[in-house]
Amino acid sequence: MIYAEHLRKEFKKIVKEPGLKGSFKALFRPQKEIIAAADDISFHVPKGEILGFIGPNGAGKSTVIKMLTGILTPTSGECRINGKVPQDDRKNYVKEIGVVFGQRTQLWWDLPLTETYSVLKEIYEVSDEDFKTRMAFLNEVLELESFIRSPVRTLSLGQRMRADIAASMLHRPKVLFLDEPTIGLDVVVKDNIRQAIMKINKEEQTTVILTTHDISDIELLCDRIVMIDKGRNVYDGSLRELKAKYGQTREMHFEADPNAGLTPEKLLKGLGASDEHITVECDRNLFKVRFNSAEIPVAKMLNHTLSVTAVRDISVKDADIEEIIRCLYKEGADGDE
Amino acid sequence: MRRFFRIYRILAAQNLKRVMEYKADFLTGAVSFLIDQAVGIAFIFIIFSQIPQLSGFTFEQIVFIYGFSQIPKGLDHLLADNLWCVGYFIVRKGDFDKYLTRPINPLFHVIAETFQVDAIGELVVGISLMIYVSGSVNLYITPLSVILFLIAIPFAALIYTAIKIATAALAFWIKSSGFVIQMVYGMNEFAKYPTTIYSLPVRLLVTYIIPFAFAGYYPALYILTGNDPLFNIGGTVLISLIFMAIATFIWHKGLSAYESAGS
Repeated sequence: MIYAEHLRKEFKKIVKEPGLKGSFKALFRPQKEIIAAADDISFHVPKGEILGFIGPNGAGKSTVIKMLTGILTPTSGECRINGKVPQDDRKNYVKEIGVVFGQRTQLWWDLPLTETYSVLKEIYEVSDEDFKTRMAFLNEVLELESFIRSPVRTLSLGQRMRADIAASMLHRPKVLFLDEPTIGLDVVVKDNIRQAIMKINKEEQTTVILTTHDISDIELLCDRIVMIDKGRNVYDGSLRELKAKYGQTREMHFEADPNAGLTPEKLLKGLGASDEHITVECDRNLFKVRFNSAEIPVAKMLNHTLSVTAVRDISVKDADIEEIIRCLYKEGADGDE
Repeated sequence: MRRFFRIYRILAAQNLKRVMEYKADFLTGAVSFLIDQAVGIAFIFIIFSQIPQLSGFTFEQIVFIYGFSQIPKGLDHLLADNLWCVGYFIVRKGDFDKYLTRPINPLFHVIAETFQVDAIGELVVGISLMIYVSGSVNLYITPLSVILFLIAIPFAALIYTAIKIATAALAFWIKSSGFVIQMVYGMNEFAKYPTTIYSLPVRLLVTYIIPFAFAGYYPALYILTGNDPLFNIGGTVLISLIFMAIATFIWHKGLSAYESAGS
């Protein structure tokens, strides 16, 4: 469905020294520097998959999405979607895709929302009949009814985002590009939008590429993730594999009985685990123990804890995906130096 | 082609609805435009209060040329005003992305999106001036000359549009080209008067390099004198086609240089 092969995009940047003086210098003797916003990015996405495309700010996510959608021309490398190269036959290609940039809108800002849809209907040559069933479907999934007659400028961010997703879906695209569709939204609206994306994906087999900084988006929606950093591929695989690889870590929280006088040293004693597999933090009687469950089985850890102290309330948590991703981002940054 | 007209109509209608949303803004625009026109005409009156003739043209003839020059200018203003926004901010802010993800020609899309009703002022002023002096100038009127003159009008308008496309497209490389458009477009002032009043370099400049003379003076000269239709009318058609070809070439080069903006 989607093939990205060795995509690279360079931007020329004029390096300026700070201040007005620097700006003047740059005006007369510009120092040019070439920056590769994307460098050798390759991945494939099969039909019907939801791909989470993630990376820290400035990693080059948007640049890649813009190459895939035909907005930017790659400096080198190639992408093919549905067998089409976006830059070669842009007009026919974009009929098959829907694009939402969370930070921009393609809606007609000053007019009621319905107007946008009737213009897009013409632009994408959607038949009257199709348009009707399509609007009914989108209305149901995205709950547009309550604000469809309001001017776009009066919509809340959550409403606008739903309206934008609907606008990108009007022509039944085979591929949907969502660049930060949940940015700046509250929990309820986020959930609403995730449900909608899932439903669209399920009912129409729409392939979805999603960039986000929201870990829950990824956990709930994505079959697979591709992570990039500083313009390069860092990880490509399922979330489960990622968890299996990095996610042996468990977190145990408990509150020790103050009378038992437990200290981290006492807790570690007799466990026979080396420092790299376990860390203990404690705040008075509240303990937070992070340990590698491959080395120290959860049962052993629990038994040991209960044998050294009486506890009120104890819990063991799975590895936090956020934590894993933080590690990965950091690894990328460290590897650079 | 029919689809083009249909989409144009729909996009333009959206723009009219938008204009009607903001009535105060529209009225202010209309008033400021009228003041602008009044100043232009007053300027001609002042000149002719001092001198009886300008390069062999009478006051009425000059008014006729001035009036005619407003028509192509107004047509371009009416239909292709959005190019200014391309130069000033659409490219710089990355909002051009939108046009590239739609299945219609981005140049057409961006142009069709605005239907600038303010321009009706230019057309009304231009036509009124021509009618006002038509009794007191000798026009060269034959069936052929009228047809040629009418043909020249859309091509003359195309010269304005081509110059705006070419200069707006520079924004794809330099990010903001609004002031470049303004500078080059501003030379349309030369179209309002006979080129014979300028020095040779200026005359060559406005005839062949930034050819606004073909978007006003030369076609008007033809209907005033009947002289040299090949140059005055043929030149207008040819120059406008050449400049349009150059402009769309620059535009297409620009599209692949477009860098969007961070988001």
